[in-house]
Amino acid sequence: MLPAAGEPAAGDSWGMLACLCTVLWHLPAVPALNRTGDPGPGPSIQKTYDLTRYLEHQLRSLAGTYLNYLGPPFNEPDFNPPRLGAETLPRATVDLEVWRSLNDRLRLTQNYEAYSHLLCYLRGLNRQAATAELRRSLAHFCTSLQGLLGSIAGVMAALGYPLPQPLPGTEPTWTPGPAHSDFLQKMDDFWLLKELQTWLWRSAKDFNRLKKKMQPPAAAVTLHLEAHGF
Amino acid sequence: MAVPVPWACCAVLAAAAAVVYAQRHSPHETPHVQYERLGSDVTLPCGTANWDAAVTWRVNGTDLAPDLLNGSQLVLRGLELGHSGLYACFHRDSWHLRHQVLLNVGLPPREPVLSCRSNTYPKGFYCSWHLPTPTYIPNTFNVTVLHGSKIMVCEKDPALKNRCHIRYMHLFSTVKYKVSISVSNALGHNATAITFDEFTIVKPDPPENVVARPVPSNPRRLEVTWQTPSTWPDPESFPLKFFLRYRPLILDQWQHVELSDGTAHTITDAYAGKEYIIQVAAKDNEIGTWSDWSVAAHATPWTEEPRHLTTEAQAPDHGQHHKLPGTPAYHEDL
Repeated sequence: MLPAAGEPAAGDSWGMLACLCTVLWHLPAVPALNRTGDPGPGPSIQKTYDLTRYLEHQLRSLAGTYLNYLGPPFNEPDFNPPRLGAETLPRATVDLEVWRSLNDRLRLTQNYEAYSHLLCYLRGLNRQAATAELRRSLAHFCTSLQGLLGSIAGVMAALGYPLPQPLPGTEPTWTPGPAHSDFLQKMDDFWLLKELQTWLWRSAKDFNRLKKKMQPPAAAVTLHLEAHGF
Repeated sequence: MAVPVPWACCAVLAAAAAVVYAQRHSPHETPHVQYERLGSDVTLPCGTANWDAAVTWRVNGTDLAPDLLNGSQLVLRGLELGHSGLYACFHRDSWHLRHQVLLNVGLPPREPVLSCRSNTYPKGFYCSWHLPTPTYIPNTFNVTVLHGSKIMVCEKDPALKNRCHIRYMHLFSTVKYKVSISVSNALGHNATAITFDEFTIVKPDPPENVVARPVPSNPRRLEVTWQTPSTWPDPESFPLKFFLRYRPLILDQWQHVELSDGTAHTITDAYAGKEYIIQVAAKDNEIGTWSDWSVAAHATPWTEEPRHLTTEAQAPDHGQHHKLPGTPAYHEDL
């Protein structure tokens, strides 16, 4: 369990993120699977894929509740604001050819780093949440997201890739600007949920691709129609 | 000695004479085009003629009754579509054509219906539009596509007038697309817009080449095969899952099977001897909606050939065999 950093003073919550996120980077190293006779990373890739689907499903109801809590216009279906602020959020958007040509290690690393950042921000969100019900839902989601991170770490270890270590100074800190109004804070929350949803869709595609690459070439489906009297 | 007038000089004179003649006898070569609203009233003046000039009006060559006239002006009340046509007014005595109007009766456009769909994810998407009710006169459409604040090009479809295509620049975008369309004609103007996320409009085309075959020696099986739609550009990276439905023709209730991969399936619970109808639909594994159902395949499971039986009392006639009812001995569920 992460050590409690103490209740943050009002307006100081984002500063606490740096400390908590540092702890997050040092997840216990998952021992590499014994490769002899094991089924390979396939099952854990499948598990990771399944987790992204589960999380995406969970996020749908969580985001609905949270956006209603933020109130209009955030909970309006046509709400289409310009992407301003929230610059430090990891962006899922990528050029098609770049995405296709990512090697396995980079693909996994990008996923791992993205969810590490997003989990940090979500924990910050949780601290701000006004109702107990919201805090419960967010906490539950954070736990699931932590599980996804562990699963990705497992796949990377099974494939022999090192877990990404944060470079000094690149830890996700989300310090609000001097005039960070209530509205702008809500905008940041909106983009966090949006980015999280998009990352989960992208990850499903990422892990689908990894799954296909790890599978032995599928046996061609041949239909043997023996010509008895036909 | 007379100098022969050059040939070119004669040609120019002849042309000039023809032009002068034409202008004097057909004051309006091209009729004035006029658009009027269905149900409204219109008064057509006879060009520059005085109100009390003696004129006759014709529409598409047919005389119009003089009770429609107000002086030299033609009054049409409660315009209907049948009123569209070429109206001409003539000087009554000389039959000299004074004025022509090509009248088009129509309506201003109602709000257009716009929809967008990606059947070629991740290559791009297309948008198509139509008017819910006809206007009966020509309309022009103008489509704009915005991705956030960036304007994207919507390329006209080479074959279909009411469709255009957009190519995705980036995937997994959190910014919505906004497609706006405006329509206008001579009587009015309208517009609409839709906003959507990249993922929500994904809907593949139906699977192709759905074939169902009986399985020899298996009276309750049918083997179904199909192909991923040819418009889906990258089934390797963006795999499709499939939904199969089948029923015997004589029943209304469908059986359903969802298949997470592969393009073949064996039905094992078919009713013996009954003809089946089978359809398949496709969907991206994670995003978007199901395609429409494919073209239906028909098949009947394999049945054993009835055996020919004869008895001693009846010698077989030439070319004719006495057969017992040919139902093979297996359990029928119906």
